[in-house]
Amino acid sequence: MGLFSRSSDVRVAVTPGVVRPRDTVTATVTTDRPVDKVRSVRLDWGYTNFYRYHWAGRVDSAAAQGNDSILTAGQVGTSHGGDRDTEDWVSVVVEDLPIATGTFAGATSTFRIPSWAPASSPSIARWECRLTIDREGRDAESHGEFTVLIGTSAVEAYVEPLERVSGQAETDVDITLAKPVWQAGETIIGHVTLAPTADLPDGDLAVSWQRERESHPLVRTPSPCGQLDGRVVGLGNRIPLHAGAPVQIPFAIDLPADAAPTAAAVHSSINWFVQARLMYRGFNGHMLERVRRPITVVNAP
Amino acid sequence: MTSAQRPLPGEPPPPQRGLTREERGRDVSEAQADVEAQTSKWKQFLGWMSPRLVWSMADGYPVVIKQFIQFCLILIYPAWVFAVVVGGLCQLLFYVTVYPVLWVLFWPVRAYQKKHHPEEYAATRAKFAKKTRT
Repeated sequence: MGLFSRSSDVRVAVTPGVVRPRDTVTATVTTDRPVDKVRSVRLDWGYTNFYRYHWAGRVDSAAAQGNDSILTAGQVGTSHGGDRDTEDWVSVVVEDLPIATGTFAGATSTFRIPSWAPASSPSIARWECRLTIDREGRDAESHGEFTVLIGTSAVEAYVEPLERVSGQAETDVDITLAKPVWQAGETIIGHVTLAPTADLPDGDLAVSWQRERESHPLVRTPSPCGQLDGRVVGLGNRIPLHAGAPVQIPFAIDLPADAAPTAAAVHSSINWFVQARLMYRGFNGHMLERVRRPITVVNAP
Repeated sequence: MTSAQRPLPGEPPPPQRGLTREERGRDVSEAQADVEAQTSKWKQFLGWMSPRLVWSMADGYPVVIKQFIQFCLILIYPAWVFAVVVGGLCQLLFYVTVYPVLWVLFWPVRAYQKKHHPEEYAATRAKFAKKTRT
C-alpha cells in the first residue's frame, strides 16, 4: 500500500472457497464504516478467462510470411513472438444490491455455480465475485475469489470417436480406454489394437497424452492452437504386422497431478487426448500412422 | 470437451464463445484477398505490384504504428516492385528451362500412375487444377 493509495474499506468474502458445479456460494460484503453518497451497488459473478491472441496485424498477410521463422527471433522490426497471453472478464450473473437512502453498510448474496462452469485453473479461468459501488465521489471496488473443481460426477461420461491425425490407415489403429473420464494424477489404463490390412513391415508403437489449448476470443485475433505432448511411452519396436492377425498391446500413462481439467470457456478451451503413433520399420513408402482419442480430465473425485 | 456444457433449467445459459483461427479462415487484407482471387496469372502478377496491396500490409496495427509502417512501406515500394519483377522472371525462367526437362523426365511415372492408379491420378489432377484456380 503506497502513501497515496486510497484502498477501499469494502471487502468481499466468498464462502465456501472451494466448490463444485451446481453448488451455491455466498458472498458477504462488509464495510469498515457505512459508505455514503451511493447511487448503486452491483455484484458481478463470473470468471477471468485466460487465453492467447495475436497482438496486431493481419496474420496471413504477405508481409507476415516467415514471421514465425526462427531466423526472425529477436530481430528488431519483426513480429516474431507476436502472440501474447491475456485475460478478459466473462460476466455470468449481474445483481444489483439494495441500498437504503444512499448508504451502504454491507450485504450478502448467493450464486449457484452453473453446470457448464469451466474449472478454475491458471490456464483457463479464475472465478470471482466483483463488487462495484457507484458513488457520487470515488467509486469503491473489491472482489472475492473462489475455486471451482470439476469432479467425475459433474461430467457426462461417454466414449468420443477416434480421430485419425495422419497416415494411410494401412493398419487400423484403435485406442480402447478403461473409462472416458480421468482424474489429474491418475494413471490412464487402456490398450491399443493394431489390425493390419496387409502384410506390413514390423511396427514401432508409442502412446502419450496430449493437451490442446485453443484460443477463440470474441474480438481479438486468436493464436494458433497450442499442443503439449506428455512423455512418450514406447510399447514395442518390432511388433509383427500380418494381415488378419490383430495385435493387442496394453499401456499405462501417468497424467500430471496438476493437469488443467477439460474445460470450455468463452475465449479459450482445453481438450485432452490419448494419442498413439505407429511407425513402420525400414525405408519404404509406408507413412506414419497417428490417431488420438479425446478424453475428459477432471481435478476432483 | 467437458460433456456437461448444456445448461440445466433455472440456470443462466453459457455465454457465446468466439471462433478459433481455423474457424475464422484466412486473415488477409481486402486488397490481398482481391489479388489472390484473380484467376488470370498475369493480372495476379500485376496485382502483387499494386501500391494498394503494399499499403494494406499495415492493416490491423494500432494507430501511430500503422502510419509508421505505411511510411516505411512507401520507402521500400521501389524495392518491392523490383523483388516482384525479379521473382516473376525467375519463375518464367524455371518454366522455360527446368520445367520442360522435368516434364519429359517424369513422363513414364505419370503414365504408370495413370494406368495403374487412375483414381489417385485424377484426384491429384483435380487438386492442382483447384490450386491454380483459387
